[in-house]
Amino acid sequence: MSDSLIDAPAGSGAEQSAVAASLTPIGAGAAGLASPHVVRRGGEFVHYAVRNPKLLFGLALEALFVLGAIIGPIISPHNATDLFRSYLHPSAQHWLGTNNIGNDLFAQLVYGLRDSYLVGALGALCASAIGMALGFIAGYRGGWLDEVLQMVTNIMVMIPSLVLLIVIGAYLTTRGVLFEGVFIGLTTWPWVARAVRAQTFTLRSRDFVDLARLSGKRPAAIVVRDIAPNMASYLFLVVVLLFGSSMLLAASYDFLGLGPTNGISLGTMMNQAMLWSALQLHTWWWFVAPGVVLTGMVVALLIANVGLDEVFNPKLRSQ
Amino acid sequence: MTVRVENLKIAYRTLAGDVCPVDDVSFSVGDGEIMGLAGESGCGKSTLGTSLIRLETRMAVLGGKVELDGVELPIDDDRAMRRYRMKEISLVPQYAMSALNPTRKIRRLAADLLRCHGVGYGEIADELRRRLDLVGLDAGVLDRYPFELSGGMRQRVTLVLSTLLNPSLLIADEVTSALDVSTQRAVGELMMEFRDRRFVKSMIAITHDLSILAQIADSILVMYAGRLAEKAGSDTIVNSPLHPYTQLLLASLPAVGVRHDDTTLVGIPGRPPPLSNPPAGCRFADRCPFAYARCKEQPPFTEVRPGHQVACWKVAEEVQAA
Repeated sequence: MSDSLIDAPAGSGAEQSAVAASLTPIGAGAAGLASPHVVRRGGEFVHYAVRNPKLLFGLALEALFVLGAIIGPIISPHNATDLFRSYLHPSAQHWLGTNNIGNDLFAQLVYGLRDSYLVGALGALCASAIGMALGFIAGYRGGWLDEVLQMVTNIMVMIPSLVLLIVIGAYLTTRGVLFEGVFIGLTTWPWVARAVRAQTFTLRSRDFVDLARLSGKRPAAIVVRDIAPNMASYLFLVVVLLFGSSMLLAASYDFLGLGPTNGISLGTMMNQAMLWSALQLHTWWWFVAPGVVLTGMVVALLIANVGLDEVFNPKLRSQ
Repeated sequence: MTVRVENLKIAYRTLAGDVCPVDDVSFSVGDGEIMGLAGESGCGKSTLGTSLIRLETRMAVLGGKVELDGVELPIDDDRAMRRYRMKEISLVPQYAMSALNPTRKIRRLAADLLRCHGVGYGEIADELRRRLDLVGLDAGVLDRYPFELSGGMRQRVTLVLSTLLNPSLLIADEVTSALDVSTQRAVGELMMEFRDRRFVKSMIAITHDLSILAQIADSILVMYAGRLAEKAGSDTIVNSPLHPYTQLLLASLPAVGVRHDDTTLVGIPGRPPPLSNPPAGCRFADRCPFAYARCKEQPPFTEVRPGHQVACWKVAEEVQAA
């Protein structure tokens, strides 16, 4: 732009109009600078979001898996429980081969994907709902209520969830995917509660919160309208992170044989592969696909999370 | 009388015992009156101001009562006070510039505040725009976030928002302290304008800056170490103060037109007594050049002339003798 300005010689009318034309974008740019309120906060986030390669890559990869979970069962030629010949190699008929009893592994994978997402969403929802509620109450109220809630939180942190799950497993012989999701939510909320409490603690002594109190706002309104929006980006990241870790946790429970007794998941697929010595029998297609998909799902979320962090936190923005 | 405070005693509860920055304070503010509350740092003026609207959890009322428009305020009941805040009694804080939630546009901020007092934003939107116009702000600020405004603009927005429901009493806590002198004057005039237009019935302006009070206040109340020292019309306080503390306080201010090349400004030697363990008797006695035996007793806050109250044995004696 500056080149064209220097190059354009002042003179005839035609040339002047060329100068005027080259000036227009500069003028527009200056106007944009002079009124920064044109760029809204939401717009600002979108601006950085669409330019963040980590976020875009992570989201694209995750979208691929979500798409697989949605349309996979529809396009799959078989059901997860259909029986064929056992140990078939991947082929046009069975895209990912079959396992020891002849289940189609592609069908198992896409149905398992659905359950994994369900568990992840349920776990993240439960954990963030409980964690945020208790964190906000403890952080905003303080005093003895805070002490009590902190004690409950610390006790929950100390209970080993794996042992708890084994004990529950001894009594509850049939467990569904819903149970697993809720169980994960109920055992991971203390970390959320602690972080939210700490954040609320620093925010509740801010000047604008004080003025809100002086203006007669109710505590609930102050938490929802004044405190929570100021940590919205953090809360958002927590939910995303919980989503990923819940899926991973579910897979590890499943792999240990503590997963849902009815239904199939990525973790149970790997669990069965291990139980039936897939590695020794060289039936690699049994465990490679669920392992890769599970890793991909969680890694994509984590990469997107790092990207989101850069979008929300101005200090991490590279440009 | 809009506000009547009687024998108010406020304490901060600490492990080392109660500290009373407001000790047996009585005064009243009339309809349409701007009362200045002056004193040095730590004398209890801000505690007095905030205690009228919201007690912090570590603060306690040890006695006295506060009446607003003839109704006693439940100042030690946080919940019951909620409906009076902003509607009947409002405060412009010292930190007015950072008092706006950074994640909300001014319009939503206003709507939020109004909603908690059961007022719809629509009912008051026109009035809000008029008032923003009055303080020299474009209605466009409503669609801005607080961080898009300058410090002065934010302060004016806070002033407009906190007086939007026409409170009976506005407490302005050090609103001019962080401003440069020309802006101080403008804000002072703005507050008088708000009073004249009846946006607020009466006002308590808390400051350590007597010159701004001389400009805007109708009466000035001087506090020292948690007690009242002197109250009179602002002309009387500025021109013929009676309490030794007020006299020394005024003497320590630079006067217009006086060059301080060869005359040194005098301060008040010594420090205020600790509020955790205040001395018996007059609390200013240690620093007072006129102190005598009787100052071991606490002087009553009495009216020595019509509309002029002083807490000093010496002054009381001299006025009686005259």
